Amino acid sequence: MKIKAFWRENNTLLSVALILLALSIFGLFSMGLEPFVRTTLSGFTLSALYFMVAAGLTLVFGLMDVLNFSQGSMLMIGAYAGWQFYTNPTFLFGLAPLVFALMAGLTMMAVLHPLVSKWRIPEQWQSRLRALLLVLAVVIGVLAVAGVDFRGLASTAMVATMVAGNPLAEATLQEPLASFWIRPLLLFLSGALIALAQARPGDSTVVVYKDQSRRSGMIVAGLLALVIVATLVRESGPLAVLTTNGNLRFVLALIVGTLVGAGLGAVIETTLISPLYVRPLYQVIITMGLAFVISELIQLLWDPLPYAMSRPPAFSQPGKAENIWAFFQGGNTTVDILGVTFPSYRLFIIALGVLMFVGLTLVLKYTRLGMIIRAGVQDREMVEALGINVKRVFTLVFALGTGLAALGGIGAAPFVPVEPVMGDRYLMQGFITVVIGGMGSTTGAAVGALLLGLARAFGDYLALKFSLSPAISEASTVIIMAIVLLARPAGLLGRRE
Amino acid sequence: MSEKAEKRVNGKMGAPLGWIRQHWGELAVVVGLILFPYIFGLLSGTSVSQGATKFWQGQLIVMFIMAVYAMSYDLLLGYTGILSFGHAAFFGGGAYAMALFLTHVAPKVTDSYRIMVGSINIADLLMLLAGFLLAVLVAVLLGLLFSAVSSRVKGAYFAMITLAMGQAIHILSKATDFVDWTGADEGLHGVPVPIWLNPTQFRLRFYFIALAFMLIMYLITRRIVNSPTGRVFVAIRENESRVRMIGYNPAVYRSIAFVTAAVIAGLAGGLYALWTMSATPSMTSSALTINALIMGILGGIGTLIGPMLGAVLREFLGHFFYQWFGARWPLVFGVLFILLVLFLPYGIVGTWRLRRLELRQGWQRFLRLFKPEKE
Repeated sequence: MKIKAFWRENNTLLSVALILLALSIFGLFSMGLEPFVRTTLSGFTLSALYFMVAAGLTLVFGLMDVLNFSQGSMLMIGAYAGWQFYTNPTFLFGLAPLVFALMAGLTMMAVLHPLVSKWRIPEQWQSRLRALLLVLAVVIGVLAVAGVDFRGLASTAMVATMVAGNPLAEATLQEPLASFWIRPLLLFLSGALIALAQARPGDSTVVVYKDQSRRSGMIVAGLLALVIVATLVRESGPLAVLTTNGNLRFVLALIVGTLVGAGLGAVIETTLISPLYVRPLYQVIITMGLAFVISELIQLLWDPLPYAMSRPPAFSQPGKAENIWAFFQGGNTTVDILGVTFPSYRLFIIALGVLMFVGLTLVLKYTRLGMIIRAGVQDREMVEALGINVKRVFTLVFALGTGLAALGGIGAAPFVPVEPVMGDRYLMQGFITVVIGGMGSTTGAAVGALLLGLARAFGDYLALKFSLSPAISEASTVIIMAIVLLARPAGLLGRRE
Repeated sequence: MSEKAEKRVNGKMGAPLGWIRQHWGELAVVVGLILFPYIFGLLSGTSVSQGATKFWQGQLIVMFIMAVYAMSYDLLLGYTGILSFGHAAFFGGGAYAMALFLTHVAPKVTDSYRIMVGSINIADLLMLLAGFLLAVLVAVLLGLLFSAVSSRVKGAYFAMITLAMGQAIHILSKATDFVDWTGADEGLHGVPVPIWLNPTQFRLRFYFIALAFMLIMYLITRRIVNSPTGRVFVAIRENESRVRMIGYNPAVYRSIAFVTAAVIAGLAGGLYALWTMSATPSMTSSALTINALIMGILGGIGTLIGPMLGAVLREFLGHFFYQWFGARWPLVFGVLFILLVLFLPYGIVGTWRLRRLELRQGWQRFLRLFKPEKE
């Protein structure tokens, strides 16, 4: 009886596992051991990447019913940010003071709120004052960034890759501090003006929380300190980063890429997504437009060319490691696994994907945030009624999702070309993954990613065998999606309607 | 809407003069477009088929074709409420069908057969018509394929699946396996368009054909939208479960809308292939789908005339943006698009229809400032 109940509960997962087992036995005998192991491992690598894109998609959709069409672009941004940081972080260090200054200005809102709501302003002047403040903020913001050579900053890493082996070959001259200091100041002012307009001066109908304002005050102070530090290390920072150990630099790049993605996600959620909860169709449209803007912006900054990021030293010592332990000591480029020579970096990606899945599952199961997310997926109104600030949870989850995608991007950067079509490509594969796995389920995303990654790898193998291009196997992954949709429209592990 | 229908009935019963009076705005636009090459030629002092006049004819041709494409997208998004992100597949499918047929099949037929009507060889013309038929066929097949896969889902889910499928079509159009046929990344260039339709030699003729194409497509689409089927489309957009309750099958009607839009977009794609004498992977890319969205949102979705206006504006502004901002000018449109979605979601025409009375009152108040007070 127990077996029967177990089967009924997990029949989807078990049947998928059985089908995979049957297919792998068939593959093992028809392909031979060496190609089979190699293809399976490549499949796992791809699965890990797809999972990183799909995890955020499925989390966000499950909780807030928002489908983020810019998820692929977030992966691309992670890849570009990490690549820039690893190769030559001048671009990121140059932008950091400006971004932090604007953020500090915008965070002023909660601080200003209790102050300005008491102002006595006639009602018809309130909206005019807001419009005036916004216009002023835009003008000051434009003045602040006018003349910053963004393209020049962006091109630093490209130059560095050309001067072979020495990323320090050209320490780019930057705007002197004597004239630069005004820019963060103006941006802070611009952000503060926007915050002032958003705080609705004179509007005494708004509810004001005093304790929130105190906490925001501390955040603003912290951000301002960051601005000052970032302004000071603008020129010395890149050099300091570049002279550190390559492995440490790579770990830092992973963190920076993830933070950039998560920060961008938080900004997108608060500015673009949250005003549109009343118009869900437009939410989708705006994320699609955002993906377009990001791809155009990246092409503007780095030209529509593919770049190759070099691997960190832990994965680039020449020679082949005999086994995994030998690799840990030597840091070789390739590892011998069951007689197959396999790139060691790809193993790292697989480990990253597995780690992410385990971490996400643990977070969802054992933390307070995870509890709220799981409850929110079940019944959003109820969670709201219980007094949880759903808005903040939404922002957090969105940032988590984009951060995971960005982490995937920087993880992938050393072995796939960093190029502007990355966004579209991984968006498509991420979508197919979540359609297969079912929306709103993290395990589903993992299963979908596993299936899709293996299908892609074996598809590429077959395409090569029949002398077709890999494009065919990429396009035919849609067929898997179609089959799953026709059989189970809600996906393998999705909620049924 | 009913007011409009009433007007049309009145117009039909009255003299033709009455009909003209009621539709003077639309007629003025049509007449203006017909006379455009001549007037522009007179003003700029160039001949009708040379210099600036010829250049702007070309710009207008692209506007006409893109207007039809944007209109077909509006049928989906604005009227049926379907969010499809694979629309470029239909446009590109039509373009590739036409280009492939004219490049690889038509020359063999026209070389070996002559089809005479009187003393004129119409083999060229027949091949062209066959090309359009093929474009329609491809569009219908693609539309059926898309709606078969996604018939059981809707909303954002639908958008996701159509995006994946459109992307698959794009990848196939770039695949190196069919390089002999499609030219892979490069695309198909130098399509042998019939000599009497060559867009560089006989641009004025092409201009009128494109204009007629746009007008006919507009009339057909307007007829569809105002037909009982079109009413069901709108009803699906407003409340799908109620439509099912009344006894219509929403899946069937969604598929009808989808295939119709696909056919219109496919025809536009076919004509576009004739105009550029090429078919390239950029015609199936997701950027083109986003262009349809931009045009629609700019002009106002659900108004039919709005997306056409949006297409015209986009092409017109794009010409100048290219001069001002260089190769990455679509970025400006992307940012503009996001701002539009946030602050002007009904677009130009939609907002005008919503605020017509207010604006008119404001205008009259403005005029009254200059009028002397009545005694």
